Amino acid sequence: MRMDSRIILHIDMNSYFASVEQQANPFLRGKPIGITGKNQKRSIVATASIEAKRLGVKTAMSTWEAKKICPSIILYPGDPEKYSDITRRFNAIYRSFTDRVEAFSVDESFLDLTEEATDYLGAAFMAQAIRERVREECGERITASIGVAPNRLMAKLASESVKPNGLTVVQAHEVLELLDRSNLEDLCGIGGRIRERLSDLGIETFAQLREFPVDRLVEAFDSYGVWLHEAAWGREIEHVTTSTPDSPKSYGHSYTLPENTNDLTILKRYLLGLADKVAWRMRRDGVAACRVSAYVRFADFSGHGEQRTSQEPLTDGLALFEIVWRILRPFFQVAPSRLVRLLGITASMVCPDPKRISLFKKERRMRSVLSSLDQLQHRYGAGIWKRAGTLQAEFKSRSSGFHFDHDVP
Amino acid sequence: MHELLNDPIDVIVSFKNNRVVPHAMRWNERDYKLEKVNLVHTAREGTKRVFYFSVSDATNYFKLKLDPEILEWRLVELYADG
Repeated sequence: MRMDSRIILHIDMNSYFASVEQQANPFLRGKPIGITGKNQKRSIVATASIEAKRLGVKTAMSTWEAKKICPSIILYPGDPEKYSDITRRFNAIYRSFTDRVEAFSVDESFLDLTEEATDYLGAAFMAQAIRERVREECGERITASIGVAPNRLMAKLASESVKPNGLTVVQAHEVLELLDRSNLEDLCGIGGRIRERLSDLGIETFAQLREFPVDRLVEAFDSYGVWLHEAAWGREIEHVTTSTPDSPKSYGHSYTLPENTNDLTILKRYLLGLADKVAWRMRRDGVAACRVSAYVRFADFSGHGEQRTSQEPLTDGLALFEIVWRILRPFFQVAPSRLVRLLGITASMVCPDPKRISLFKKERRMRSVLSSLDQLQHRYGAGIWKRAGTLQAEFKSRSSGFHFDHDVP
Repeated sequence: MHELLNDPIDVIVSFKNNRVVPHAMRWNERDYKLEKVNLVHTAREGTKRVFYFSVSDATNYFKLKLDPEILEWRLVELYADG
């Protein structure tokens, strides 16, 4: 099937976390609210309500900045479990319309309706039907902007062109018009840095990008140059890929510390706690990781990240911790300006857990202990066990970030 | 005023179309008539699934937690207008 004859929907929930809270709590409706982490002083606004956005509050703004811009804003701690459940609910609604659903983030999904809708009019009707089902099953405050277009890239651009609660249909012959009335940065895949580099080449609009020689784009951006050229013509090579929440490519956790610190004992505790969270999720899903990335953000918002590849697939939190500690230890300096604000760990290059039996008795015992602890955690849920070394490291739930998994301690 | 709590409460409910609808609750020796169920969501605690009801009366928002294994209700969140 030709790519330009596909019918793709992009559904983007409007001010998602804030809308869910306004649905749950009627006293927040019509008011500027910002969804934050549990520690509001050190948090960011993960989502601003439509009312707060109108007053200038933006997503990812620090809470003090949001208060400064909008003194009447109500800062409200996020409830990630609630958002996860609503996300599952609306993705289930989408799957009742087509089995080709790609969950792009916690509040965005792509649906390939090429076979079900047959034409754009049918797709627009289905979009309205989906919207009605979401309203009935999730609540009237939870609204979405929907874009319908021949591919994901254009569908996302279309959905973002009318907010909130818009429905924008862009057929194949209209994509250039949509691009030409958009800014380069409006397109998913063109961020601030790419925008600057394009500007250095004299490219400020999609029309200019289209006319720019593709070989020069490849010279400047390598293979991404081809992607940019295709995007400027409204084309995308990849299809909607059916996704399930249970098939992640990587497992990661990060945490903003309750207070900035360079105390090595405290940093060790939090890193070990994060490593255990990552490792538990991998064991639960029956996978192991060969690559571990660690990153640190300092009080001055500078940061550092590195990764290491392991010969042996890893599933034990302690093993992950030992690698990330080796990566980050040199950066934990005593100088006050290098106080640590945030720590993060990601395990990638995921493969099925080979469950090799170790030659070493200590490792076999550890594996056996972890297996028993995993059974306990599976039965009784998060927080049923902790390493003694992490007893004093408290992880509060938070709402920023796109990935939610509540089976972690 | 927004408060996080974990207080056991008594709740009067009805069962309709395979759904549980809370109508009134008793907390701190005071009765509250629950006028609206705004949202119901679930969460997992290990293999157990618990239910949360976001409900409200004229001046308060309450988040109630139902543990279906032990049929226990708790008031976990309170938000009073103003």
